[in-house]
Amino acid sequence: MSRDEILEPGLRERLARQREQEWRKTLRQAVPARNRLEIPRHKMPEQPPDQRAGNFLEVNLGYSLDIAREEAQRCLDCGDPGCVSGCPVAIDIPTFIKYIEAGEIDLALATIRETNGLPAICGRVCPQEVQCEKHCNLIKARKESVAIGHLERFAADYVRRHDQAVTESACGPATGEKIAIIGSGPAGLTAAADLARLGYQVTIFEGLHLPGGVLTYGIPEFRLPRSILNQEIDFICSLGVEIKTNFLVGRTATLSDLSQAGYRAFFIGTGAGLPSFMNVPGENLSGVCSANEYLTRVNLMKAARFPEYDTPVPVVKKAAVIGGGNVAMDSVRTALRLGAREATIYYRRSRVEMPARVEEVKHAEEEGIKFNFLTVPVRYLGDDKGKLNGIVLQRLTLGEPDASGRRRPVPVPGSEFEVEAELAVVAIGQSPNPLLIRQVDGLNLGRWGNVEVNPSTMATSLEGIYAGGDAVRGGATVILAMGDGRRAARAIDQWLTKC
Amino acid sequence: MTRVVLSERLVPNIFHLVVDAPDIARSARPGQFVMVIPDETGERVPINLADWDKNQGTIDLIFMNLGVSTRKLARFKTGDSLQAVVGPLGRPAEIGSFGHVLLVGGCYGLAGLYPLAREFKQKGNKVTFLAEGRDEAFIFWEDKIRKVSDDFQQVLRADCFASGHDLGRIIGQIKEASQELSRVVVMGCSYLLFIVSNITRELNLKTMVNLNPIMIDGTGMCGACRVTVNGQTHFACVDGPEFDGHGVDWTEYFNRRRAFLRQEELALAGYLNKTLD
Ligand SMILES: Cc1cc2nc3c(=O)[nH]c(=O)nc-3n(C[C@H](O)[C@H](O)[C@H](O)COP(=O)(O)OP(=O)(O)OC[C@H]3O[C@@H](n4cnc5c(N)ncnc54)[C@H](O)[C@@H]3O)c2cc1C
Ligand SMILES: Cc1cc2nc3c(=O)[nH]c(=O)nc-3n(C[C@H](O)[C@H](O)[C@H](O)COP(=O)(O)OP(=O)(O)OC[C@H]3O[C@@H](n4cnc5c(N)ncnc54)[C@H](O)[C@@H]3O)c2cc1C
Ligand code: SF4
Ligand code: SF4
Ligand code: FES
Repeated sequence: MSRDEILEPGLRERLARQREQEWRKTLRQAVPARNRLEIPRHKMPEQPPDQRAGNFLEVNLGYSLDIAREEAQRCLDCGDPGCVSGCPVAIDIPTFIKYIEAGEIDLALATIRETNGLPAICGRVCPQEVQCEKHCNLIKARKESVAIGHLERFAADYVRRHDQAVTESACGPATGEKIAIIGSGPAGLTAAADLARLGYQVTIFEGLHLPGGVLTYGIPEFRLPRSILNQEIDFICSLGVEIKTNFLVGRTATLSDLSQAGYRAFFIGTGAGLPSFMNVPGENLSGVCSANEYLTRVNLMKAARFPEYDTPVPVVKKAAVIGGGNVAMDSVRTALRLGAREATIYYRRSRVEMPARVEEVKHAEEEGIKFNFLTVPVRYLGDDKGKLNGIVLQRLTLGEPDASGRRRPVPVPGSEFEVEAELAVVAIGQSPNPLLIRQVDGLNLGRWGNVEVNPSTMATSLEGIYAGGDAVRGGATVILAMGDGRRAARAIDQWLTKC
Repeated sequence: MTRVVLSERLVPNIFHLVVDAPDIARSARPGQFVMVIPDETGERVPINLADWDKNQGTIDLIFMNLGVSTRKLARFKTGDSLQAVVGPLGRPAEIGSFGHVLLVGGCYGLAGLYPLAREFKQKGNKVTFLAEGRDEAFIFWEDKIRKVSDDFQQVLRADCFASGHDLGRIIGQIKEASQELSRVVVMGCSYLLFIVSNITRELNLKTMVNLNPIMIDGTGMCGACRVTVNGQTHFACVDGPEFDGHGVDWTEYFNRRRAFLRQEELALAGYLNKTLD
């Protein structure tokens, strides 16, 4: 995609207009670019590794106001800001950063909120190094990028901490029309917020007992504290969105039931909840589980606090996690926090191919997680009670690049070796949850069981039904899911206005 | 929150809750279950739908006191509220016109089979209901079940069930007396499912069992409920819970069910200590 396609129409002009305001000019001139380039990137203060490995509190502690303003000074307020084109929702990054430099934090947050409904979350979990920060012009100057993610998080946290309640009223006329959003992950939440702002009556249906999708059941508290998430969700409810939990669409009611109940349009944001397994012998031993199971026990059901909470979780000395993405990092660091003496990642490619956020890999290493690259389990071993006690792994080497451009791992014959493990968490990927989408007649699905959509409107093959997020993309990212929700909201509004 | 409209003890270890759940009552099908979260610190407990009333908007849950969760549920009184109930979950039971069906229920399984009996009957099948229990005092809903079945029999463990011998003889007799008997459905504790499957394998009688593996979400998202049937891994909460009893890998099933036994016992001991003082 070219840059102009990514940028929304009119955005370029808007960015330029903002940049030409008097206060911005003054601020730009206050410190010469040369001096700005001299300031080194500010490190995120964090809990020391040996301490945090024993608790579930957030690892990153956040910038202070002073540090944030100094970091904001590093930003050159570019006329052609690369950063914005790297952000999937095209946040006006220079404007919000300059507001931070000027100490106007609430205005910084308001700027972010124009295009991003969940700033405290994206600031924490976006893979910035491949998005906004990758395209920061400072990198061309051989400097580290501006810490855009840390600053975004700072703006959201600061305003919240100082109780500057962000209020907003619906900007569109109340149309009163009912819209059903299925799934309360980032895609659904974003679509709901935008449609509520446009004056629609929005209900989110969520199958689990708590809203948030992966943000609730998958991503651990040491990366995304529940209180932060809850505040973001409360904010969305304050726009008038109703969230019906314990309502599994396709079972509790079908889409046609909802349509009879008066819902005019639908957004499917049911995510990619179906865990993949590898179909190797011994995979159903007790002690082998999906990352979804492991993380759900701990995050959604609070199993770390068993027996105060009733859901148990395996507590082991040696834990193995299969995979190299964020899901694997979250699982292995959870195992460590639950008391594993040895928690090891087994990944089938090498370090550079690991899809996890760079920060998570760094944090995991500091905490003492072991990494075993270019290995793949070929068999799980159990005792006479069917409990896992070991894994047979095979070594791989990297061959020719595959379709994804990454070099394909090839097994090395005769390289099998055995490791001890009482817990193996399989984190090799997820595919779209089939429960609802396979049930809807006429809904076109792609090769991987994902919902097919028109990428510019997120419209599915059925009129009035839109979809986005992981249900469409397979396992992707929070911010892409949000972008989909936003695009769908706009298209739903246009469709309803037309008909 | 979900309101309890009726709470009663049916037999010494089995309880009955009727709860307000109009959406579930409207969509319920025989063989489906719900996930119940008793209270704020509770786990998600799968419980079969024993009955429902679309007009009143209520569902009936029947459960056996076992560990912490079921004991917590047993303490709910009329007017109290459960933290959450979601459903109906799972595939509905396969209910065709098979001729003559034999439903074998043990402990809480009597209740879960009741809606199957009713619908099998409606579809014109002859329904024989075989209730298994420790002794007479543990059989409940007999009148209710008799109304939707042609024949109601009991097999009591007190009369030597341990060997599985009696159950085997009775099922054998039922089969011999009926040319038409073509299908058996079993619900209840895991051991009963296993025993009956072994018996009917010998008799060459198609048998569906309602598996109760450990579940977390009940919506197909975690895979905790994995079972192997005819060599294939299934997620029991979305592919089942009804499966071909002759294809189940029982060793794996029993092993997986025991995965948290030590923690469950620990929690139960703690809970009993707490609730007794
Ligand atoms: C452990 C883990 C760590 C991750 N870390 C990161 C990260 O650091 N950064 C990042 O950008 N991305 C990360 N991701 C990916 C990111 O979380 C997802 O891409 C994103 O959450 C997708 O959003 P979504 O709204 O499409 O779906 P989800 O977040 O999956 O939400 C879908 C919701 O729909 C509900 N639902 C499903 N079916 C039904 C139904 N029939 N009826 C009602 N409700 C239903 C589900 O219960 C769920 O709550 C991570 C994912 C995982 C699993
Ligand atoms: C689809 C489905 C439907 C179900 N429907 C019903 C229902 O309608 N009614 C109902 O009562 N139950 C039903 N169950 C089973 C029910 O979910 C469990 O009994 C319940 O989760 C037990 O929770 P608990 O905390 O009380 O006991 P747990 O803590 O899980 O177990 C308590 C104690 O019981 C003992 N125990 C564990 N497993 C067994 C076993 N197999 N046999 C003997 N002792 C054992 C152990 O000593 C353990 O410490 C169903 C299960 C599934 C999967
Ligand atoms: S939303 Fe994500 S990509 Fe966009 S600016 Fe924020 S951290 Fe960067
Ligand atoms: S590209 Fe970097 S320096 Fe330029 S405006 Fe964006 S964040 Fe600031
Ligand atoms: S209980 Fe989680 S997939 Fe079945």
